[in-house]
Amino acid sequence: MLSMFCVSNPAQRRYVSRMFWAGGLCIALSLGAVLGIRHGHVTGVPAYLLGVLPAAPIVLALLVTGAYLVEEKDEFQRNLYIQALLGGMALTLSLTTVWGNLEDLVRVPHLDLIWVYPLFWIFVVAAYPVVWLRYR
Amino acid sequence: MKNRLRVLRAEREWSQADLAKRLEVSRQSVNAIETGKFDPSLPLAFRLARLFEMPIEEIFEDEDGMLLTTENTESREN
Repeated sequence: MLSMFCVSNPAQRRYVSRMFWAGGLCIALSLGAVLGIRHGHVTGVPAYLLGVLPAAPIVLALLVTGAYLVEEKDEFQRNLYIQALLGGMALTLSLTTVWGNLEDLVRVPHLDLIWVYPLFWIFVVAAYPVVWLRYR
Repeated sequence: MKNRLRVLRAEREWSQADLAKRLEVSRQSVNAIETGKFDPSLPLAFRLARLFEMPIEEIFEDEDGMLLTTENTESREN
């Protein structure tokens, strides 16, 4: 079962390596932004710039994902990953829409937008085994 | 889409991993194609045909459940 998450070709190795870099950069920039704005008392335009900065690695991670889909020569593996990404998108959009309605109508706790991106990747990881099992 | 990959592979005494290595794809890809759960693209089908040294239509079966041999294709055209 764990074999489905194994990295088996150069494109996948590059993808995993790039995603680790993007993830690390995202954590570092997020910490920098929090420290700068909340503890360094940065305000005004620099605060906006600092707040936007952590989004750069997020965009980078999406570009890295696009690059992987282009570089992956194994069309079956590419197909699995595209389906997992679509599953992740569908689940994220569904959950956030339902949650938004619940916030409006029955006053459930507010879901910060910052959670949408991590939720997307959690759902992609959750969708992958389901897609993988369809081809067993 | 049905195909004769398992038979052709067995005739050559190749494992799925052997065939995957020759095609430069994963073993899971070979398994998915063999079991008819994944249809290969035309370029991959051509690579399979070259590897087994036979026309694509002798490896894959069309949707009607009929092997697309040259003979069958000609009779359909008439």
